[in-house]
Amino acid sequence: MATETAVDVVMPQMGVSVSEGTITKWLKQEGEQIEADEPLLEISTDKVDTEVPSPASGTVTQILVPEGATVAVGTKLAQIGGAAGAPAAEPAPEPAPAEEAPAEEPVAAAEAPAAPAPPSAPAPEPAAASSDNGRAFVSPVVARIASEHGVDPSAVPGTGKGGRVTKKDILAFVEGGAPVQAAPAPTAPTAPAVPAPPAPPVPAPVAAGETLPGETLEPITAMRRGIADHMRRSLDTGAHVTSAIEVDMSRVVKTRERLKREYQAAYGVNPTYLAFVAKASVETLRDYPYVNAEMRGDSIVTRGFVNLGIAVELAEGKGLIVPVIRNAETMNLLGIAKAIAEIANKARNKQLVPDDVQGGTFTITNPGGYGTFHGTPVISQPQSAILGTYALVKRPWVIEDELGDDVIAIRPLMNITLTYDHRLVDGAYAGRFLRDLRERLEGWEGDES
Amino acid sequence: MAIAREAEPVGSLNEVREAGLDREDLLGVYRNMLITRGIEERGHILYRQGKIPGSFYTGRGNEAASVGVATAMGAQDVGTPLHRDMGVHITRGVEPWRIFANYMGRVDGPSHGRDGNVHMADERLGMIAMVSHLPAMLPVATGCALAFRIREEARVAVGWFGEGASARGDAHESMTFAGTRELPVVFVCDNNQWAYSTPTHLEFATEHVADRAQAYGFEGVVIDGTDVLAVYREAKRAIEKARAGGGPTLLECLTLRMEGHAVHDDAFYVPKPMFERWAESDPIERFRTWLCDNAELTDEEEGEIAAGVKKLLSSALERAEESPLPDPATLLEGVYATSEDLDTPHHK
Amino acid sequence: MAELTYLQAISDGLRTEMRRDKRVFLIGEDVGVYGGAFKVSLGFQEEFGPWRVIDAPLAETAIVGGCTGAAMMGMRPVAEMQFADFISCAWDHLVTIAAKQRWRAGTPVPIVVRLPSGGGFSGGPFHSQNPESSFAHIPGLKCVCPATPEDAKGLLISAIEDPNPVLYFEHKHLYRRIKGEVPEERYTTPIGKARIHREGSDISVITWGAMVYTAEEAAQQLDSDGVSVEVVDLRTVLPWDKAAVLESARKTSKVLVLHEDTRTGGFGAEIAATVAEEAFEDLDAPVKRIAAPDTPVPFSPPLEKAFIPQVEDVVAGLRALAEY
Repeated sequence: MATETAVDVVMPQMGVSVSEGTITKWLKQEGEQIEADEPLLEISTDKVDTEVPSPASGTVTQILVPEGATVAVGTKLAQIGGAAGAPAAEPAPEPAPAEEAPAEEPVAAAEAPAAPAPPSAPAPEPAAASSDNGRAFVSPVVARIASEHGVDPSAVPGTGKGGRVTKKDILAFVEGGAPVQAAPAPTAPTAPAVPAPPAPPVPAPVAAGETLPGETLEPITAMRRGIADHMRRSLDTGAHVTSAIEVDMSRVVKTRERLKREYQAAYGVNPTYLAFVAKASVETLRDYPYVNAEMRGDSIVTRGFVNLGIAVELAEGKGLIVPVIRNAETMNLLGIAKAIAEIANKARNKQLVPDDVQGGTFTITNPGGYGTFHGTPVISQPQSAILGTYALVKRPWVIEDELGDDVIAIRPLMNITLTYDHRLVDGAYAGRFLRDLRERLEGWEGDES
Repeated sequence: MAIAREAEPVGSLNEVREAGLDREDLLGVYRNMLITRGIEERGHILYRQGKIPGSFYTGRGNEAASVGVATAMGAQDVGTPLHRDMGVHITRGVEPWRIFANYMGRVDGPSHGRDGNVHMADERLGMIAMVSHLPAMLPVATGCALAFRIREEARVAVGWFGEGASARGDAHESMTFAGTRELPVVFVCDNNQWAYSTPTHLEFATEHVADRAQAYGFEGVVIDGTDVLAVYREAKRAIEKARAGGGPTLLECLTLRMEGHAVHDDAFYVPKPMFERWAESDPIERFRTWLCDNAELTDEEEGEIAAGVKKLLSSALERAEESPLPDPATLLEGVYATSEDLDTPHHK
Repeated sequence: MAELTYLQAISDGLRTEMRRDKRVFLIGEDVGVYGGAFKVSLGFQEEFGPWRVIDAPLAETAIVGGCTGAAMMGMRPVAEMQFADFISCAWDHLVTIAAKQRWRAGTPVPIVVRLPSGGGFSGGPFHSQNPESSFAHIPGLKCVCPATPEDAKGLLISAIEDPNPVLYFEHKHLYRRIKGEVPEERYTTPIGKARIHREGSDISVITWGAMVYTAEEAAQQLDSDGVSVEVVDLRTVLPWDKAAVLESARKTSKVLVLHEDTRTGGFGAEIAATVAEEAFEDLDAPVKRIAAPDTPVPFSPPLEKAFIPQVEDVVAGLRALAEY
């Protein structure tokens, strides 16, 4: 039957593995008439040479592929009927390109805010997440990374399904300055510790992966990378300045001796020097809010509470972690001592959960355990200061006797540093903080319990 | 050294009557052969027009063997024809439009697009769909015969296989089982002398495939597969023998595969003289000549039959082309049978 | 180097070995005079003679069983199944004897069975299957599935060299469609080692055979979404390169296993289970599989298209994983 509508002539598949065919001869030209089943062209394939019969009667309106050309099976070769000289068959509809892709952009975008400023929601309040259904779900890899880096996933902006935190999100967060990670000095489980490294020097020009004789390579662990990135970022963020003060700890020593036995017996707790310093610091922070503050976007955030971070060295030199004692301002000496003992124990036994290392506002580190008397710790972003305590050393000290004369006495001295972010805290302010802190420690009344 | 009996050609109309066919029946046989060839010739064209996906196999030269055996089957008998046996489907009553639809992967083909070519069967017409692992149909046919035997039904199973398929263990095992139990099965070997490119001497070492029948305890017969009446007569004998409890027979229908293994094969390995010789023995031509000589077939009658077949196929093709392609959403249906599926003639 | 089609690379590998080692012979249906149903051995019988390129009877059990016996006697047989689907006929010999003889009786069976597998051209249920998972389940066998011409040659040579029965799945749809650079000299590609087809950092696609190209096309589309997809070409299904897969899984934390074989019990299930078991803490999403549905391979084009995993199916799966 003659056709008004166009009928396509296509390259047939002459066999299962044949993918193309060559036109060897057109038996009709454009404009000629042809009957259905009449041979229209001859083709050659890998398997056989054969004729292709016309699928319809009518005029050959288009011949699209010349003799000698090799085309894929299914290619339109000619047209019977319909319009003449129409352009070749429309290309197959393209799959929708990246227009629906914007859903993926947030992943990349999430990295950006993390870079310049610390993540905008490190504070313990639940972040402005989309739907909380997804946010509650933490995938295995996110849980692992969170635990390794001491990050609370709920503080991380999530771009995954339902607002959940994805691996990318938490890695970006960790790199971007997770608040906890910048703890400087690793601390032995109880009190004395190791000096804080200042900004480490850039390694020598040997190419990555290569060694000189006598050198050994070991891989950089995720935790070490996290620490490295965080230290760098912290120093690039805060304007680190350190002021130091010497404190006569005589009264503290006496008080501690007296309380030690009592606390141990009644509460099973050892009141360390760190506990005393922590208690005094927390009180002092009441009067110096900027030392307990944060620069967030265009604002300065001050608080009516202190979430006190205590730097702890992990066993086997694996790294460091800074568990947080929440609302330390509500605790007395005993409470703080207990809290410190508890988190040190948890850290030692790998029992810290993300909540434990999250939301600090001020940090104390104790590098003095190995005898160092001074250091310049790195601030734990996005906090604005970090206090360092050092070795308690007996020194000859000039004091005033009852007659008001200068005499030399042997006194237990502790050097204390405050490293502060000079963008927010000025030197005089820091100095006053340290002065007040010293006053508290030197004037310890000793009737605390 | 041949063992099998060689069949005699059929001489006259009277002999044919003795074998059970009258003139009307003979014209019907002729018509079926024409339809068989017509469908396959049309299929070639459709394939090269890109309307048949996959590959395309024909049984040109096997029209007599297939129609002949099928004509001898009883209405209640079953069979497992293969891809050279289009004539069996036609004779048993499969409508040509459904065959075209099956070729083209349309919904109305007996396999509804799930399988192609003649991998199809209408079980209401007593046929079981073939697989590509050809000899595997023989144990199935034997199994059908087993059921008839157990139920003591006067029904026969016919299992087809090629001379190539005779090489596989399935053939041996089926015949061993059928022979030892005298099951009502007739084994029909379509020996078209080429299994793809492999000649007969590489498929069996006896003179005839049918020579093996004796080894299985039953009779083997070699038949000129281009002589539809000879095929019919031997098939009728064998089928009725089985029906009467006489056990299996192996019929070997000797023909030449007149085309390649499939449409993509030009059979360069077949010596040209072989094609020429067997072309002279074209089954349809032979029978037409016989009908003219022995049954007074007139040109007019012949013309009518031919025209009728042409019309039938033409409208069959139109109807098949209107059949839709299957809906992908139906893909997962029917992987498992349900109890409704057991409501068929075979299960009654 | 020469640019060869996947099919030519297979021929090249086979020819190289047959020239190098007289113990190597090819047996299968129509492999001699006809040159093989797909023409892999075209010209071979002329070069090597009828007793090294053997036209077998239509008897898969005899072919595979025969190769087993010949291998035990010191030959290096390569059997060709005309279609992978016919391997079911030789199941008994592969699984009962070839696979177990070394373990239980100390006798190695160095055979190769070449299996033209896969669909995509209306081959229907018996000319389109990918039966690798059944055999991956049999200890003693090895199963390789090259995707590139270079690997096709190298893996075939390795398979012939290997003292174990190796099933070599050559994907028919790649035969003439895929071309690549193939070294002209003899070389081996290690069995059991995956290849990173495409590096990426966000999602790992673990796949083999023709699906490697489907994954590649899908990965390209995901590029414009800003999602970086890694495609791991397993190359060997048994023994599979677990280390490479786990490494990729740990890198991206999102895994999609893709195969053309049907889903239930397909080899992807083994991979998915292993990833979930051994990389649990590295996963940011459930391990997904994309495979054909659990039906025989259909014949009619719209049905076959719904059966074989298409590029758009993989794109959708990747996007879902990316958004998880």
